[in-house]
Amino acid sequence: MSTRITIDPITRIEGHLRVDVEVENNAVNNAWASCTMWRGIETILRGRDPRDAWMFTQRFCGVCTTVHAMASVRSVEDALKLPVPPNAQYVRNLILIAHALHDHIVHFYQLSALDWVDILQIPKADPAAASRLGESLSPWTHNSRNELKAAQDKVKAVAASGQLGIFQNGYWGHPAMRLSPEVNLLAFAHYIQALEYQRKALQVVAMLGSKTPHIQNLQVGGVSNAIDLNSQSALSMDKLEQIRLLLSEVAQFINQVYFVDVCAVAAMYPEWFKIGSGVTNYLAVPDLPLDSEAKAYDLPGGVIMQANIAGVQPFKTASDAVFRESVTEDVTHSYYEGSKPLQPWAGETEPQFTGWTADKKYSWVKSPRYKGQPMQVGPLSQVLVGYAQGHPLTRKYADQCLQQVSAIAKVNATPAVLHSTLGRHAARAIRAAMLAELADKHWNLLVTNISKGDLTICNPPEFGSGETEGVGTHEAPRGTLSHWIVIKDGKIKNYQAVVPSTWNASPRDENGAHGPYEASLLHTPLARPQEPLEVIRTVHSFDPCMACACHTFDASGKQIASVKVL
Amino acid sequence: MKKKITIGGIGSVLLGDDGIGPYVAGILDSEYQFDECVTVADLGTPGLDLVAHLSGIDVAILIDSVKNDAAPGAVTLYRKEDILRYGPGPMRVSPHSPALSESLMVADLTGEGPTEILLIGITGEQYEVGAEFSAAAKRAAIQAVESVLSELDRLGVSYTKLRTEPYSAWWNPIAEAHPTIA
Repeated sequence: MSTRITIDPITRIEGHLRVDVEVENNAVNNAWASCTMWRGIETILRGRDPRDAWMFTQRFCGVCTTVHAMASVRSVEDALKLPVPPNAQYVRNLILIAHALHDHIVHFYQLSALDWVDILQIPKADPAAASRLGESLSPWTHNSRNELKAAQDKVKAVAASGQLGIFQNGYWGHPAMRLSPEVNLLAFAHYIQALEYQRKALQVVAMLGSKTPHIQNLQVGGVSNAIDLNSQSALSMDKLEQIRLLLSEVAQFINQVYFVDVCAVAAMYPEWFKIGSGVTNYLAVPDLPLDSEAKAYDLPGGVIMQANIAGVQPFKTASDAVFRESVTEDVTHSYYEGSKPLQPWAGETEPQFTGWTADKKYSWVKSPRYKGQPMQVGPLSQVLVGYAQGHPLTRKYADQCLQQVSAIAKVNATPAVLHSTLGRHAARAIRAAMLAELADKHWNLLVTNISKGDLTICNPPEFGSGETEGVGTHEAPRGTLSHWIVIKDGKIKNYQAVVPSTWNASPRDENGAHGPYEASLLHTPLARPQEPLEVIRTVHSFDPCMACACHTFDASGKQIASVKVL
Repeated sequence: MKKKITIGGIGSVLLGDDGIGPYVAGILDSEYQFDECVTVADLGTPGLDLVAHLSGIDVAILIDSVKNDAAPGAVTLYRKEDILRYGPGPMRVSPHSPALSESLMVADLTGEGPTEILLIGITGEQYEVGAEFSAAAKRAAIQAVESVLSELDRLGVSYTKLRTEPYSAWWNPIAEAHPTIA
């Protein structure tokens, strides 16, 4: 059996992100973010029943399954102006929170921590000293010398085998890696522990959604979870108690490990609070509705332009009229036909592939714009928009994070430092802490509402004749997601999804303005351009939802490194 | 104690033959009844989330479309050592690549990974958005079902064939089938 196999068929990957950077005097002086694959997947929805759309959209992405399901049912509900029963709102919110907690933990530990943590330094660590350090930072009970020694032994065993396996492709020993062996060991021990807690979060999604990765319990108008506190086959008190226990274990991991690690690692790389800001226009939509008609939310939304926090413009609802009117997609530098930016309901997707051309078309990603401007989306946007509005929960954890960083780094970290690569990591940890607290709140809201005797789970939709449009939004782990649907005579006429990674990975627009990935890379110093770890750190800080290939060119255009950034 | 076994279909049902893994899982789930130690799942394109499904089990039987030198519709069996031999990609894993070898390595780090793996690889023919399965992939699906069952025989796990309608993929083009809520 000597056939070479690729277990990752190209079709499997949702879209490859390629980043090209030009380097001069060991710093980035130009950048292009491009997606190398077209899918046009929304077209399969045309002509289908709007009630079934969520089952298809949930397959847009194998990792962000639930978020596309949720945005889809919300788009149909918005088109029909259909209220959702409180029980359904709370069940959905608990699923969204559990999914986001899972996602944020995986992003930090499994997908980006090793940009900062040098695995090959770990054998040099003193586990007792690492344990003392861990215990000085957190009450977490799994920082004992023995547990850290066991984690160290795993690395030693991998290193001794001569096969680095999962660690074979890191930039170990890179001059931009600066943590002490003990900090590297602590972080790696938590990398392993994180696997258990992200699974607990997924278990909550599976218990409420009946399956993962594809939940089964949604319906346009509500959910399909039968509620009966005394029946084993329905959403019972037993199940709810199990869910509460799992969520509290995950919350403890977030508060005592993830949040602490992000603050500590950030404090040890303070220069990264000055790198990677890029586009400082921020967009977030309100989420976690508190009532049937979604008039109040636990996560605030709004817009900040040009880092002007005092000038924040809040959104009243998750499908705010200003939001609906302000989003367009530009295709000047994308492989599509079209001469002017279009509103998503009128969106067209006619491919016009030209090959990668730096000053013309170079990406399959369109350029979403808000009032014509590029916007950064993601946890940083949500945290800044909430902070700017004085949202108490956002302020509580954002201030706590900045204080911890200040104490460890012996600096005065103000909210302004968040416009950076590390700011994106910090904001994700802040958001995770907020969501962990809100999980408990929404669990109580659900149980209290059921205890009042309200067992309603769905308001069935009715479709009239004629044409109507709706937008369903969700503040997903990677940022603002919006699904735009046009329904005609009970069937889908048009459907467009404007996803977070499209906002962030967008190419230049008709005005030549860079998208957020591109802008964030400009001026980034590179210690070794042939090993562009610094580029990877910034691209990873966005939590890109695409496999991406990063090519480094020198100013004369000669390729000096081709690295996959994942 | 009985071995815990997960039978998982991997792939995107929206991309033609890439959905063949979930299709095989669908056939097994709807047309057979398995011993309670067996879980059958449509795992989609889970990336590193596969770790969660590979942890705490003894045996994983995965069905996936693969790209190799064989003709479309070929069914090739791979074991754990075959999968690990290729190692992870050029850099760490993406959230979107199926990351089978990466996920296995991570699960093994925790000591909770499966000791035995059978990957049933079906060589696909076309991966167009919204396309039906190629005839070759559909034929291979029947063979893949048999491969799963003979692996269960080898493991001494019981199952029965149910008298039901043949499974049909809910995601087929509109003219072929009407999607129903599972």
